[in-house]
Amino acid sequence: MSDLTLYNYDLDEHCYKVRLLLSILGIEAETISVDAFPGKEHLRPPLLELNPSGRLPFLKDGGLALFGAEAILAHLARNYGTQSGYLPVDGIGFAESMNWLMFSAHDLDVTSRARRQAIFDEPGDLAALRRESKMKLRIMDDHMTMREFDDVHFFAGLRPTIADIALFPAFALSRDYGLDHDEFPALRRWARRVRRLPGFINMPGIPHYH
Amino acid sequence: MTEAAGWYPVGLSAGIEAGTSAGTRVEGVELVVWRDSSGGIHVWEDRCPHRGMKMSFGFVRGDHIACLYHGWQYDAAGQCRLIPARPDLNVPDAIRIGTYPVEERCGIVWAALGTAGVLPEDRETLPVRSLYIERDAGAIAVDLTAQHAEALGDRLYRLAMDEQIVLVALQPVDKATTAQHIVVDAITARDAGGGRKAAFAWAQRYRMNAEAAR
Repeated sequence: MSDLTLYNYDLDEHCYKVRLLLSILGIEAETISVDAFPGKEHLRPPLLELNPSGRLPFLKDGGLALFGAEAILAHLARNYGTQSGYLPVDGIGFAESMNWLMFSAHDLDVTSRARRQAIFDEPGDLAALRRESKMKLRIMDDHMTMREFDDVHFFAGLRPTIADIALFPAFALSRDYGLDHDEFPALRRWARRVRRLPGFINMPGIPHYH
Repeated sequence: MTEAAGWYPVGLSAGIEAGTSAGTRVEGVELVVWRDSSGGIHVWEDRCPHRGMKMSFGFVRGDHIACLYHGWQYDAAGQCRLIPARPDLNVPDAIRIGTYPVEERCGIVWAALGTAGVLPEDRETLPVRSLYIERDAGAIAVDLTAQHAEALGDRLYRLAMDEQIVLVALQPVDKATTAQHIVVDAITARDAGGGRKAAFAWAQRYRMNAEAAR
């Protein structure tokens, strides 16, 4: 049933999450470029008719239509990467990965707003958004500090999951909105491990070490 | 670094893995802390002389650190050795980055940023974490003393916590921010995981109270 079409905007970190998982799992998908900025093409017909949520990324899989990174990540891991373990099926791994997937969707929204304010000049108080973002990254750094005591190096379960993919851009792109990595040592070490996953790809703003 | 004296803690030894770099600040001065692939630790000014890019954004290659912008590579002495756009150029001695004396003691990286002071005596420790608190270092030092912490030398405190001895090194990041680099004395540690978790819980509580008290 591989008939995947991803509506993608290269500078959007949520679209990047899906591109990253597709690459890691080695899944082929047709990509359609959306002029989200400055064109706001996703908020006008015909794209808005196709995807009334107006949310990117948007994925068509045959007759199935999904919007938002989290549902798409779960779908891809469940239906195209069953052996990969990216969507854990065991009780604890599943629970923890869902917990952090929801954290990325809800709590980390402030980091997306901070970044859109900083790079696309969207309305917002950047200093306040940056400060709230810092508090969210602290929660993540605290969690990964604790995990290291048990010699575990990913957010949920024992191995990389879609939670790591969903959480990665908010930290990796934090310099876009003026938050440096200095104060998050455990996240630095975690991000290094994510970068080393086979199939890892970059996006603009996440440096390629030449 | 003007009135500054002695050794400043800039990170946990275990926090900087071989082949990685991290940015930090001491009293507002930007530093890069990096470890080469053979394990040697380095603390430098965080600025590439070429375009002023932060070296901490760059990457480590063997015993060199490279700038993210144009890949200029510097050796462990801070001397530029390779300019990729001019690979045949014998790089002039003037292209170098300022370095600081650095030592690792008690599982903590120390850099001498002013006139030399006294380094703490080395002892075996287990890393807990580096904790960044939005309070100035002076207030935290007063606080730790009030909690019966014993000062062991330049910016290092010893706390008895249940059965364990916990060491806390204070890094004044800027006027409003302090880093606590926290380790457990290995001889007194309850066990590798549990003892560190207890110290971690202390640190969480400490930060909440310290920031609420502002």
